Amino acid sequence: MAMIEVERLTKKYRDRVAIDALSFSIEAGKIVGFLGPNGAGKSTTMKILTGFMPATEGKARVAGFDVFEKPLEAKRQIGYLPETPPLYPELTVRGFLKFVAEIKGVPRKQVKSEIARVAEGTGVTSELDRLNAALSKGYRQRVGIAQALIGNPKLLILDEPTEGLDPRQRNEVLQLIKGLAGQHTVVLSTHILAEVKTICEQVLIIHRGKIVADDTMAAISGGRESGLEEKFISLTAN
Amino acid sequence: MRNILAIAKKEMTVYLTTPWAWIVFTFVSFVSSFFFIGYLVRFKEAHEQIRLQGGWAQATPDEQFLRNLTDGVVMPLFSTMLVVLMFVVPFLSARLFAEERRQKTFELLMTSPLTSVEIVLGKYLGGLVIIGATVAVTMIYPLVLTMFGSSFSATTSEKTATLEWVTVMLGFGALVVWGATLLAIGTFVSSLTESVIAAGLITFALCLMWLVFQSVAPNADEPWRSVIDHLSIEAQLRNPLRGVFDLRPVVFFSSVIATFLVLTHRSVESRRWV
Repeated sequence: MAMIEVERLTKKYRDRVAIDALSFSIEAGKIVGFLGPNGAGKSTTMKILTGFMPATEGKARVAGFDVFEKPLEAKRQIGYLPETPPLYPELTVRGFLKFVAEIKGVPRKQVKSEIARVAEGTGVTSELDRLNAALSKGYRQRVGIAQALIGNPKLLILDEPTEGLDPRQRNEVLQLIKGLAGQHTVVLSTHILAEVKTICEQVLIIHRGKIVADDTMAAISGGRESGLEEKFISLTAN
Repeated sequence: MRNILAIAKKEMTVYLTTPWAWIVFTFVSFVSSFFFIGYLVRFKEAHEQIRLQGGWAQATPDEQFLRNLTDGVVMPLFSTMLVVLMFVVPFLSARLFAEERRQKTFELLMTSPLTSVEIVLGKYLGGLVIIGATVAVTMIYPLVLTMFGSSFSATTSEKTATLEWVTVMLGFGALVVWGATLLAIGTFVSSLTESVIAAGLITFALCLMWLVFQSVAPNADEPWRSVIDHLSIEAQLRNPLRGVFDLRPVVFFSSVIATFLVLTHRSVESRRWV
């Protein structure tokens, strides 16, 4: 079953075309790398899929729900980490996760165990009673991921989840995402190819608003160690 | 409903864990205590003067409202509070939407399974509770008066209840409704901008314009004069602040609140479409 189906999705900001008639589909349970140079349209695509903003043209379906016609049903399937983790600095980590659980409709009795579960999974249990404002960048990012995991959504959309982390944290976060495979479909955007090589099964490369590659990791890299880099550079050259 | 309450609770937590609400509570109790003492001194002096002149029968009609504590102290204080609220409500309302935009947390609300109506009502409700608490701060003074003041019946000189609580509660209600109206305007302005300071200043300017609106009336021709007079705050709140229950201001202010909440909703929705 396809978790995400996108048909001729186009977004224009006045005259500038951010994404141009994108079509792709992503199977359930896969970890998909969404690659492209800065400004290629990765974030725009993610914002449309999560219902943050509408497309100018085209269709997008998440778990069978059209994101424009059935926005609430589609949003219930998605956990989303935006480029900037959406943390209220005034709240504690626990208070923040509780708020997210409430607005995502986690049953009242399960809120506590749900917070414990995502905090455990992202390694923020020790920080639960600190204010968001006092967290280091690495922990902010983790709380951002914890927030996306609340309610156990089928689809996780992570916009540059490892941005600003040190190599050790980066590795931990990647392992964390890898562990989500199977039970969740994960779409992560990044411009760091090494990360994609470690965890992704399918790769989408987007350049100037168009899809230039959509294939399995093995097919794109051609089995060579530097295959993905070569392909990326040649496809995004002009 | 649960979503609305969750957002309202979040707003209240933010107000109460940051200086916002506490600055307002402190400011309001500071300013209102000045006015309370001022009105109380005026009340006391008036009573001494009138005793020397030979009683209330000799007093001018203008002085009659000073006969009892309710009309002589509490209601003037509430009238002053109308203006004080105009300063503090924009301060509270400004952050409601502007801050979400600035901190990029709006993306969380907009990508959660919430409707725009729930977001607007939740935020409005959270702000309303804080404004209710702000107005409640001024209820200290009627309580102080009941504890330490005393009143005598004009005809039989028997001791009566110190305050007419029905009148006091009506005035309190008028203040809450007025605060709720300002909050609706402020919520709308906040939804238009990313800057908290701009939201606060624009809201304040709008409220100030509304307050001085009435002074234009005498220079206008009919039918505008009646229209302006009808829309002025003074005309709408005259009755409740005299202790006369009147359904018209309730309808009037509810309409203003509803209008601005609908506008806020439109503004939030339109953000999805840019």
